[in-house]
Amino acid sequence: MAEQRASRDDLALVERLRAGDEDAFMVLVTGLTPAMRRVARMYVSTDAVADEVIQETWLGVLQGLDGFEGRASLRTWIFRILVNIAKTRGQREGRSVPFATLAGDDLDGPAFDPSSFRGADDALPGGWSTLPFDWRGMPEERAEAAETIRVVGLAIAALPQMQAEVIRLRDVHGWSSEEVRNALDLSETNQRVLLHRARTKVRRALEDHFRSVAEA
Amino acid sequence: MSADADITCREVVELLSSYLDGELPASLRARVEAHLAACDGCTMVVDELRETIRLTGALTEDRLTEAQAATLLAAFRGWAAGA
Repeated sequence: MAEQRASRDDLALVERLRAGDEDAFMVLVTGLTPAMRRVARMYVSTDAVADEVIQETWLGVLQGLDGFEGRASLRTWIFRILVNIAKTRGQREGRSVPFATLAGDDLDGPAFDPSSFRGADDALPGGWSTLPFDWRGMPEERAEAAETIRVVGLAIAALPQMQAEVIRLRDVHGWSSEEVRNALDLSETNQRVLLHRARTKVRRALEDHFRSVAEA
Repeated sequence: MSADADITCREVVELLSSYLDGELPASLRARVEAHLAACDGCTMVVDELRETIRLTGALTEDRLTEAQAATLLAAFRGWAAGA
């Protein structure tokens, strides 16, 4: 698949950075650094080392601006630099983190609980046997409540790190699947599986939350 | 019953993220849509996943501390002065 190329906005931003525009730099830094910090933390052992990785990354980005050819989006390019630096730093620390630890060890099975479906010897194999709680149509003000958003945040915080970062970049930051798999060095399949896993777990957390609200 | 009836609820729910992201090949997309049109349970799940994505979009990102911002701005100034 061809890479998503840099947008015109990206190229304009690069020009402003080259010209030493501090506002442009701080907007970029403010938007990306929190996610960069979490990603760095997957590979290195402490917050302090993650902060060093971030500094090194931004310096690498600035020094590499002349070499930015716009073959990938700017944020993808920045994350690739970050992931390379973080992985190298982690190796130097003697820290090797297996992919399964970051991604979760539940990727091979189905995202939905198999016990919700009829078995192979049933007249309708693979059909629903137990439907999930229907939380559609909860009043809008309730669905928007801070408590609901808190449930989503807690569910994401409980995910394996790579699942959490994929759903954040896709559904909070609005990145494309291609940007996410390039930025985090994931295969197309892994990106898709991680995202579906993450969304399914957040949906389940919302289901549990709304059921307890309805039963209260 | 159509020839597409071989796709089960258990299979459909595993495809719903890709379906919502518009990433399914056309033939598979058509089979999922045909299934959804006839299945209340899977329609409920796809509605809820859509709502899950929308609610996730309401999350806010962590903030940089002032110290982090100051450090990075200093690095930028150093780079700009030397460039």
